Amino acid sequence: MSVSQLAPAKDSARYQQTGPGMGPAGTDDREAALLSAFAEGHHGHSSRFQRLVRNQNTQFAIIGFVAFLLVWHLTTDVFTLPRFNFLPAPIDIFSDWVSTDPKYGVSLFTPIYYEHIFVSVRRVLLSFFIAVAAGVPLGILLGWSRTFYNFVFPIVELLRPIPPLAWVPFAVLLLPGVESSVVFVTLLAAFFATVLNTVLGVWSIGEDYFRAAHCLGYRRVDVLMRIIVPGAMPFVFTGLQIAMGVSWFSLVGGEMIAGRSGLGFLIFDAYMQVALPNIVIGMITLGILGYLSSAGIRYVGKRLMAWQEKGRAGH
Amino acid sequence: MSTTLSGSSLVWARWSRRLTSPVFWQGLMGVFTFFLVWQIARWIGWLTVIPSPIELAAGVPEEIARQGYWQNWVDSSRRVFAGFAIAAGLAIVLGVAMGMSERFRALTFPLFEIMRPIPPLAWLPLAILFWPSSEATMISLTFVGAFFPILLNILVGIDKIDPRYKQAALSLGSSRGAMFRRVMMPGALPSLFTGLSIAIGITWEVVIAAEMASGTNGLGYMTWDSYMTHSMVGIVLGMLSIGIAGMASSWVMRKIGDNAAPWRRI
Repeated sequence: MSVSQLAPAKDSARYQQTGPGMGPAGTDDREAALLSAFAEGHHGHSSRFQRLVRNQNTQFAIIGFVAFLLVWHLTTDVFTLPRFNFLPAPIDIFSDWVSTDPKYGVSLFTPIYYEHIFVSVRRVLLSFFIAVAAGVPLGILLGWSRTFYNFVFPIVELLRPIPPLAWVPFAVLLLPGVESSVVFVTLLAAFFATVLNTVLGVWSIGEDYFRAAHCLGYRRVDVLMRIIVPGAMPFVFTGLQIAMGVSWFSLVGGEMIAGRSGLGFLIFDAYMQVALPNIVIGMITLGILGYLSSAGIRYVGKRLMAWQEKGRAGH
Repeated sequence: MSTTLSGSSLVWARWSRRLTSPVFWQGLMGVFTFFLVWQIARWIGWLTVIPSPIELAAGVPEEIARQGYWQNWVDSSRRVFAGFAIAAGLAIVLGVAMGMSERFRALTFPLFEIMRPIPPLAWLPLAILFWPSSEATMISLTFVGAFFPILLNILVGIDKIDPRYKQAALSLGSSRGAMFRRVMMPGALPSLFTGLSIAIGITWEVVIAAEMASGTNGLGYMTWDSYMTHSMVGIVLGMLSIGIAGMASSWVMRKIGDNAAPWRRI
């Protein structure tokens, strides 16, 4: 009897732990999946992986992916349709990627591959942090002070529509060295995304909080630290995710046009040297890094905003 | 006649209100200060490479008068709109199919999710190899840039439709066609237009880079060519033209969206 009473209590406690932890981005179907997974866990002791495989959506996804690879393989390797014969075949790419002695010099076992990754990641992180370090304070000032906003925001709006890559020639002429111009181009779009979302975040805070703070005699520092910073956080993190995405976007352009190293350069150089598999290896690596970096930001955001109710951040 | 009159007086009223508000003048002061600081920095000698605003203003008319300037606008716009139109058509068809059929969505969506994080420009070498002409290469790149935001926003729009509407339609005996026309389309249209106006901005960014890397004409190439010939005025004019083009297309797209989906809430 005591066991049967204990078990549900434990269940609900564990469920509640996962609930808020899911944070703003945790969707209903994910929670439903968790719930059903939990219910399933009671009956059979199947592992998480087994459940994932048994899930119909996963099966469909795998079918879709295999079909895509098959079409790619058939069009490039088996039938070699016109034009498709210029594209690298999936088997060549994979065998080159995992071989210890790759035909075109880039694989999981060559140091040059990691050098390119390291250079690109360093550039993205550097520009991301500069953009955030400059963009969040500026956004908070713009959102907080109406006068400052009226004076300064038109300048932001004047410069924002210019695409980051249109700055490349400008940056190359103005800044010393390739490194700083690539970083500059990469941080531009990230900076504007951060500023705009921070402003929106400050505006999203209810007027009541400010009034309450005035009544309680908060100093300006307290208003900043206790109301504005936590209040704007959800929007800021949306901005950071966008910023990370556009950073990778501009980085590739910058490295292709002006770079001497990095993944964008690897891709373009592979094209120049007709080392076709390297093009796709570079693309896949960029995709993985881009995905991981936005997943990282989502994770940090969830951790920092554990207090948030699910309903408020509807993005 | 009377409608045009009232229309123009409305525009006039809006402008006079704008001119008398302090916000407008503060913004003007801000922008003016920006240019002033730039000008003074040039006078003092901090900026040796960049021309001052006055030099730019003097040099720009000559650059615009140069042969082929407006042709660059036409070339870039053509690429942007071709890629954008193909992306919009395909994304709408696929998005609606995914919205109507769970199974089709489970089959194809993960594939797109895998490709989405790859930056559009990373497709450039493959596109050059695959397509026979540089025109098709650039159009395909703008397609990649525009496709994912449109598709995602359609799906977001369809997912956000209140399930009670669908249930109500079903219990009233709605056919699949009526479900699409009366529930899905009006529900997803605002979100679709959000996607379209994001996408057109991205296509301009992509086309600029594609033209810089592999083009022989267009606004991006013009900017790059000015860099090669060390014409700072040309570079700045290129940047300005691109900015205006992107802003204008996004604005047009938003206006179309407001008219096509007047029930949208902001």
